[in-house]
Amino acid sequence: MADKSTSSSSLLMWLIDPVSPTGESAPGRYQFTADMRSWLFPTAFGVGLLILSLVALFTGDTQRFLFSYLIAWSFCLSIALGALFFVMVHNVTKAYWSTVLRRIAEAVAWSFPMLAILFIPIALGMYDLYHWSHAEVVDPASPEFDPIIDGKSPYLNEPFFFIRMAIYFMAWIIISYKLWTRSIASDVDHKPETNYNLRFTSAWGIPVYAVTLAFASMDLLMTLEPHWYSTIFGVYFFAGSFLGAIGLIILLTGLLQKRGGMLQQTVTTEHYHDLGKWLFALVAFWAYIATSQYMLLWYANIPETTVWYRVRLEGGWEHHATMLVLFHFVLPFLILLPRATKRYLPLLATMAGWMFVMHWFDIHWVTMPNAFLEGGFHWVDITVWLGLFGVFVGAIIYRLSRHSLVPHNDPYLQRSLEFENF
Amino acid sequence: MLNEFIREIKLSMGIFESNSDQTYGVLAEFSDPGALLDAARETRKAGYRHFDTHSPFPVHGMDKAMGLGQSKIGFIVFGGAIFGLALATWMQWWMGAVDYPLNISGKPFFSTEPSTPVMFEVTILFSALTAVAAMLAFNGLPRPYNPLFYSENFRRATDDSFFLHVGASDDLFDEEDTKDFLKSLGGYNIEEIKDLGEANATSD
Repeated sequence: MADKSTSSSSLLMWLIDPVSPTGESAPGRYQFTADMRSWLFPTAFGVGLLILSLVALFTGDTQRFLFSYLIAWSFCLSIALGALFFVMVHNVTKAYWSTVLRRIAEAVAWSFPMLAILFIPIALGMYDLYHWSHAEVVDPASPEFDPIIDGKSPYLNEPFFFIRMAIYFMAWIIISYKLWTRSIASDVDHKPETNYNLRFTSAWGIPVYAVTLAFASMDLLMTLEPHWYSTIFGVYFFAGSFLGAIGLIILLTGLLQKRGGMLQQTVTTEHYHDLGKWLFALVAFWAYIATSQYMLLWYANIPETTVWYRVRLEGGWEHHATMLVLFHFVLPFLILLPRATKRYLPLLATMAGWMFVMHWFDIHWVTMPNAFLEGGFHWVDITVWLGLFGVFVGAIIYRLSRHSLVPHNDPYLQRSLEFENF
Repeated sequence: MLNEFIREIKLSMGIFESNSDQTYGVLAEFSDPGALLDAARETRKAGYRHFDTHSPFPVHGMDKAMGLGQSKIGFIVFGGAIFGLALATWMQWWMGAVDYPLNISGKPFFSTEPSTPVMFEVTILFSALTAVAAMLAFNGLPRPYNPLFYSENFRRATDDSFFLHVGASDDLFDEEDTKDFLKSLGGYNIEEIKDLGEANATSD
C-alpha cells in the first residue's frame, strides 16, 4: 500500500494516478524520456473530437450519439479489463517473460476510476439506450407492456443496474489499485513480499474478475436486446477484451521503443514474439467463442434466441458480419500464423492495430443494430470512438510518464531481460 | 543420382554413412548439458557438419548451437491442416447431402454452421497427425539399428550422460585429429565406433 508520501492529493489526480511520481528513482534506461506532448497530444485530439461529436448530440442524432458513446466506452472498458487480466494471469503464474511489459499493462489497467466518471453520459442516456428502462414496458395497463421484460424486471431495473455497475467498478478499482500501487511502491522501496502480495491479489482477483466481467458485459451490451440471452456472451466479450488489450500493449510498447527511443535492449524480439503468440491465440479464441454462440443458437433455432442474429444478418449488417469473419478471424489467423510475422515488429504492429480496429468493429456490430436496423457507419461513431480513446490513451501515457517503465526491482526482471523463445 | 539424393535425405535425418573400413565415427562423452552445448557450438564452428548430440532430455538452445536452423514442420503441418479442412467439408457435404440425405427438423442437408465443429476437429486431427509423422520423418525415427549401440557406454545416453558423435562421412573427419579435437573440448571416454552391420553384436 502507498503511504502518505506517495499518495496524491487532489481527487482528479487520484483518478488518473493515485501515486505521486517515482520516475526519478528508476535507472536511466527505464525512465520515460519523452516530453509532455506525448500525452498532451492524444488527450487534446480526443477532447477535440468529443467536442466535435457534440454537434450530433445537439442536431437531433441524440440516440446515435449515445449508442456511439456506449460502443466507444465499452471499447475502452474492454481494453482496460483485458490489460487487468494480462497483469493478473502473469502474476499468478509467476511468468517472467512478461515482467518487462508488466508496467505498461498495469498503467492500462488503472483506467477504471476514469472510466467510471466517463460512465455518466450513459447513465443520463439510459432511456435512449436501454428499452427495458422504460416505465411503460413493465406497466400492465400500458399498450407498450412487455410480459417478457416484466418477468425480468426484478433484475432489469434502473436502481439495481446502477448498484451492479457500482459493485463491478469497486471490484475492478480495488484489484487494480492493489496491483498498481504495490508495484509502484516496490520501485522506490522493494520489499521481498511484494511479489507474493501481487500474486495473492491476482489469485482472488481472477475469479472476482471473471464474474464481474461476465455480468458487466451482459448488463451493458446484452440487455440492449432484453428478450435475448446467451450464456457465453461474457466469454465472447472477454475474448475481444484480451485481444484488444494485447493489441494496445504491442502498439504502446512499439511506439515507446521506436518513436520514443525508450526500453532499448529491454523489450526484445523475443517479447514481441510472445505478444504475437497471445494475439494469434486470441484471434483463434475469439473465433471459437463466436462460432460456439452462433452455431448453438442456429441449431436450436428458437425464435427468442435467434432474434439477436436476425437483426444482425439483414439490413446491411450482414456485410458487417461477413467482414468480421474475414477480417477478425480468417485473414489475421493466416497472417499471424508464421513465426516470421510475430518476430517482425512493423508487421506485428500492423496486425495489432488491425485487431484493435476490428475489436471496435465487433462491439459496433454487437451494439448498434439494436437501435439502427440499417448497417453502416455514421461519422459520429468514428469521432466518439477516437475521441474517447484519445482521452483514454492520453491518460495511460501520462501515467507511464510518471513512473519507471519497467518494475526495475522485480526479482524476475533479469530473467525477463534474458528471455528467449526456444 | 538417386543414391546421392537418398544419402542427402538420410544426412538431414542425422543418419550418417560409415567409411569403407566400417568406421562410423567418434563418440565422446561430456559431463553436463552445458558442456555438451559448448562442445556442439565449437564443433560446428570448427567446420564439422556430420555430427549429432545425444542427451537424456532436451537441451534448450541445442538446435541453435548445432546450427540446425528453423524447423520446417510448421509448413508441412499447414498442408495437413488444409487437407483435414477440405476432407471434413467434403465429408459433411457428401454424407449429408449426397449419400444419405436426412431431413432433420427442416434444416438444410448441408450448411456450414453445424459442420463447423467437424471441420475444426478434423483440421486439428490432421494437423496433429501430420506434426507427429513429420517430426518422426525429419528425425529419421524410428531407427531400430544405430551403430552407436555398439558402444557400451552409449547406453547411458538415456540415463545420465551426454554424448557428441562426429560421423566418419564428414569431410573434416580424421580419426586422430577428431579425437584430439573432442578431447580439447572437454570430452572423455572417447571411442571409435565401427559399423559392423549387425544388431545385438555386443558381447553381453
